[in-house]
Amino acid sequence: MARHFDHKLEQQQAPAFFVHGPSALARLAFFSAISLVLLAADSRLQYLASVRQSLQTIIHPLQLLANKPSQFYRDVDEYFSTHNHLLNENQQLKQRVLTQDVALQKLNSLALENDYLRQLLQTNNALVESSVVAEIMHVGRDLFTKKVIVNRGEMHKIAAGYAVVDATGVIGQVTRTYPLSSEVTLITDKSLAIPVQIERNGLRAIAFGHGRDNTLDLPYLPANVDVQQGDKLVTSGIDGVYPAGLAVATVSHIEITPDSPFARIICIPTGGIESHRHVLIVSIPSVEALQKKAMDNPDKLKTDPIEVPTKVPAKAPAKMQLNNTSKPHAPE
Amino acid sequence: MHPSKLKFVYLSLFCAYIFLLLPWSGFALKIKPDFMLLVLIFWLIRAPNLCNIGSAWFVGLFVDLATGGIFGQYALAYTITAFVAVSYQRRLVLFNGTQQLFYVLLLLLISQVILLILKTFSGAQFIGWAYFIPSITGVLLWFIAVTSGLNTGGRFRGK
Repeated sequence: MARHFDHKLEQQQAPAFFVHGPSALARLAFFSAISLVLLAADSRLQYLASVRQSLQTIIHPLQLLANKPSQFYRDVDEYFSTHNHLLNENQQLKQRVLTQDVALQKLNSLALENDYLRQLLQTNNALVESSVVAEIMHVGRDLFTKKVIVNRGEMHKIAAGYAVVDATGVIGQVTRTYPLSSEVTLITDKSLAIPVQIERNGLRAIAFGHGRDNTLDLPYLPANVDVQQGDKLVTSGIDGVYPAGLAVATVSHIEITPDSPFARIICIPTGGIESHRHVLIVSIPSVEALQKKAMDNPDKLKTDPIEVPTKVPAKAPAKMQLNNTSKPHAPE
Repeated sequence: MHPSKLKFVYLSLFCAYIFLLLPWSGFALKIKPDFMLLVLIFWLIRAPNLCNIGSAWFVGLFVDLATGGIFGQYALAYTITAFVAVSYQRRLVLFNGTQQLFYVLLLLLISQVILLILKTFSGAQFIGWAYFIPSITGVLLWFIAVTSGLNTGGRFRGK
């Protein structure tokens, strides 16, 4: 009974004639309607992008606060890592630096040679990408999509569309930027497609994320296609998003059924999609920047690949943004 | 039992939000209960004069922001769940502990089903029955909270 009394007391805090407010059904109708309007405005009309950005700025400090415990755990863990472990790691890193230095020396001379040959052929110089190192803040909370949030955003000159790679391969693409963080859609997401090339024979295709598990599909390839198990897929670079020649995936399974004209090819991504903490955000100069450069340098304009159709790859995907002649397998 | 204070409502929702923002990944992400909805249901049952359908909608918006999905998904799911919770709130005071658990499970499932429908409309693919695990872990969390002395209201009325 005491509780009953309390219950009454609680309700009498509001003015007596307006105790309950609008009925539950009215509230349901009102708020459902607003939600539906929001859903439509956000998904179809993209009106709320700026609202989302400003709200995200408010949430960012909270996110940092929430990241503190795990960060603290990692810091403590690193602090108490043993001497032996550090020595081992140091040695490994030194060896890697040595081998990479040798490779880099070769690369420098090759790059010089390449530039010289390009000048001889009077073609455009290879695109120079700029890159930013970012740290993964957390994995996307939506189980239906494959996304990660990284700690670099508009303030660090990141824009939607930039490619995200790690030491072993392509990870994904920046799809949404906030002032201090950005959202990276992984290549295993259902909505992301990436133009690839088979390293062995130069065959071009488009890889789609599978969505449910961490695999990629290579759809729309005929059943008699020359793809073997273990083939390496690299970025073809014809989309103007990903630099050419980065590892994407390895073909793990090929299935050819008599009832389908297409082969069913499943690939496993080479990048450490769910294991690394640091990634590299790579940007290829935009079409506008390239055009500006061409205007500044008019003698390059006449050799622009847009005006030389033989340089344009025969099977370019629809979303091709610029012609990148730095591909090793461009048909001549 | 003392009357619930509005600041407790805000404080608990804030804590739940921080829990939501923790960097969950892998298996933990798959079984992570919906903290915000659990706290909401708690207040909807215990103090509907402080926390009602409007609050649920507002909380849902913040969850939408955190998940990065389309605005309004969680808002709509929480609104409808809150409506069910509020319309049976009077009856709930007659429920005992087990019945209350089933009721909470039902509410959690309702919100998940609505979310699933909305996401399917926007082009997502059903990720398998493991999708509903957060409801189970949510009820387990509720059970732990109740057995460790959290007064969810109503429970003592029937005895």
